[in-house]
Amino acid sequence: MFGSLFAVIVLAVLAAPLYASQVAHTTPSENHLTDRTVVDGERTDIVSLEGIPIGPTWRGSYLLGADENGRDLAVRLLYGARTSLLIGGGAVLLTLLLAVPLGLAAGYLGGRTDTLISRLLDLLWSFPALLLGVLLSTAISHSGAQIGPVTISSGSKLIPVVVIGLVYVPYMTRPLRGQVMALRGQPFVEAARAAGMRPARLMASELLPHLLTTIVVVSTLLFVNAVVLEAALTFLGAGVNPPEPSLGVLIAAGLNDVVLSPHLLLAPSIALVFIVLSLNGVAEGVRRALDPRGTVNFDLVRGR
Amino acid sequence: MIRYAARRFGAALVTAWVASMVAFVLFWTIPNVDPAFWLGGGLKGTNETRAIATEKYGLDDPLPVQYVRLMKSILNGEIECFYSCGSLRATFVQALPVTISLVVGAGLIAVGLGVFLALICVRHRGRWQDRLITSAAAAAYSVPSLVLAALLWAFLSYKWRLFPEEGYVGLRDSPWGWAKHLCLPWIASALPFAGAYVQVVRASLLDAVDQDWVRTARAKGLPEKKVIRRHVLRNGLIPPVNIWGLDFSHAFGGFVLYVEVIFGLPGVGGLTANTLGTFDLPPIVALAVYLAIVVVFFSAVVDVIVAWLDPRLRQPRPST
Repeated sequence: MFGSLFAVIVLAVLAAPLYASQVAHTTPSENHLTDRTVVDGERTDIVSLEGIPIGPTWRGSYLLGADENGRDLAVRLLYGARTSLLIGGGAVLLTLLLAVPLGLAAGYLGGRTDTLISRLLDLLWSFPALLLGVLLSTAISHSGAQIGPVTISSGSKLIPVVVIGLVYVPYMTRPLRGQVMALRGQPFVEAARAAGMRPARLMASELLPHLLTTIVVVSTLLFVNAVVLEAALTFLGAGVNPPEPSLGVLIAAGLNDVVLSPHLLLAPSIALVFIVLSLNGVAEGVRRALDPRGTVNFDLVRGR
Repeated sequence: MIRYAARRFGAALVTAWVASMVAFVLFWTIPNVDPAFWLGGGLKGTNETRAIATEKYGLDDPLPVQYVRLMKSILNGEIECFYSCGSLRATFVQALPVTISLVVGAGLIAVGLGVFLALICVRHRGRWQDRLITSAAAAAYSVPSLVLAALLWAFLSYKWRLFPEEGYVGLRDSPWGWAKHLCLPWIASALPFAGAYVQVVRASLLDAVDQDWVRTARAKGLPEKKVIRRHVLRNGLIPPVNIWGLDFSHAFGGFVLYVEVIFGLPGVGGLTANTLGTFDLPPIVALAVYLAIVVVFFSAVVDVIVAWLDPRLRQPRPST
C-alpha cells in the first residue's frame, strides 16, 4: 500500500514539468497579482484588493488556491516536492559515494585506517545533523565554495545536497563498518586473500555484494530523513532559497498568514506528511523483505 | 565509576575542543569565504569597510593567533560583533533554561508515552490493541516535528488563541504559565520521538518477554506485575536507553532550532537560528561553540547516568 502511494507521489511529482503547465496554465514562479479566474460562474480576483489570495477552487487552475503573489499553489507544491525529493535523492547518493569506501576501508583494513576514520566519524556523529547542516550551509551559502573541481555558487540547490550528503556519512558508514568487520573473518574472504587478491579488488568484488542489503535499507531510511532535514534547513534559511519552491520554503511561507489563507500552510504540510508516511512504509517494507531476521540494527539511523 | 565519569568528561572536553577548531576553520578558511569581505558587510560593504574589518578583527594575523584570540573572547563572553551585540555568553546562559525545559519535558513525554504504550502492546501482543498502537506509532513517527509545530502554533496559538502566541514564563515565576507556554512545543517535539520509541521499546520488550528468566519468574509464582517490572522492564529497557541518550543530547542542536523559532520561545535554539541570519561571523562561531559544549556535556551526563544504572555499559559504546 505504502509502496504504491510512494510510487504515485514520485511519478506525479517528477513528471510535474510535463503536465502541470498544461493543466494549470501557469508556471511555479509566475505572478498573477491582477488576474481573475472563474469560480462557480463568477469572475473572482485571484488576489483580492485587500491582498488575500483565493483558496482552493478544486479545478484545473488554482486547484489548491493561490499565494499572496497570485502564484498557483498546486503547481508550486508539485515543483517544490520535486525539488525536495531530488535534493534528498542527491544527498543520499553523495552519502553512498563517500560512506561505502570509508566503511569498507575502515572495516577491512582495520588498524590505523580504522581508528582514523572511526574517530573522525564519531566526532561528526556526536553532533546533531541539523546543527551541523545549518552551520555548514551558512558557511557555504554566503559566497559559494569550491570543492576540488566542483564550484558551488551561492544560492545553488546543490548546497543542501552537499550539506545533507556530508552530514549523513557517519550514519551510513557505521553499520557498514560493523558488517565488514564481521565478514572479515569468513572463510571466503580468507580464500580470496590467499589467492592473492588485492584489498581494493577484494572489497569491491567479495565484500560489497554482502553489504547491498544494508546499503539499500539505510539508504531508504536516510532518504526519508533527508527530505525532512531539507525542510528544516530551508525553514531556518539555510537550504533552498525562497523564490524557488521546495517543501520547506512553502511551509515557512505558509506560516505567515494562517488566519486568512490556511491553505498555504495546510497543503505543503499534508504533502510532506504523505511523503514521509509513504517513504517510511517503503523503508519498513524493504527492511522486512531484505533483512527479515533483523540481523542489522537500524535503530540508530536517524539524523533529523 | 568515578574513573569512568572522569574519562567520559575528558573525552567530552576533547570533542568540544575539536569542534571549536572545526567551527573556526569552517568560517575562517573555507574556500571563497574571505572573513574580511563577510565581516565588512558582505555585498553591501565597500573596500573601506573591509579594511576597517581587517583592522578591527586583526584578520592579517596568522590563523592560530586569530583562533586563540577568538576562542578567548568566546569563553570570556565578550565577543566583538560588527553590528552590536552585548555579552553573548550571558544571553546564552539566560536562554539555556528555556531550552532545557523544552528538551527535558519533551524527552520525558516521549519516553513515558513510548514505554507505556509499548507495555500495552506487549501485554496484548497480536491483538487489536497492539495493532492499533503500532499503526498509530508509525503514523506519529511520520509527522515531522516541523510540520506538527507549524500546524499546532498556526491553529491553536495564532488562529484560535487557545495558547500563548509567543514568549516564556519561568517555572519559579508561575508553574501554570510555564506549562501553558511549553505545552504545544512539548507535544510537537515529543510525538514523533514517542512514535519511534513505541516501535523500539516494543521490539526490545518482546525480546525480553521470551527469555528463560521470565518463564522461571512466572513458574515460581511471581505476580504478573512484578514479573513485568523486575524482569521484563529492567532488561528490556537497556537497548532503548542508548537511543534515548543520543536523541537527548542531539535535541539541543536539533528540533529546538525550529520549534523555538515557531513558538517564539527565547531559548538557545531560537537565538542561534536568528543569529545565523545576520551573517555576523564571530557570534555565529561563538554560538556554534556554546551549543557544541552543551551537546557534548549532556551526552557525557547521559552516558554516565546510563553507566551508573547498568555497569555492563561502562565500556565505550559498542559500534553498531
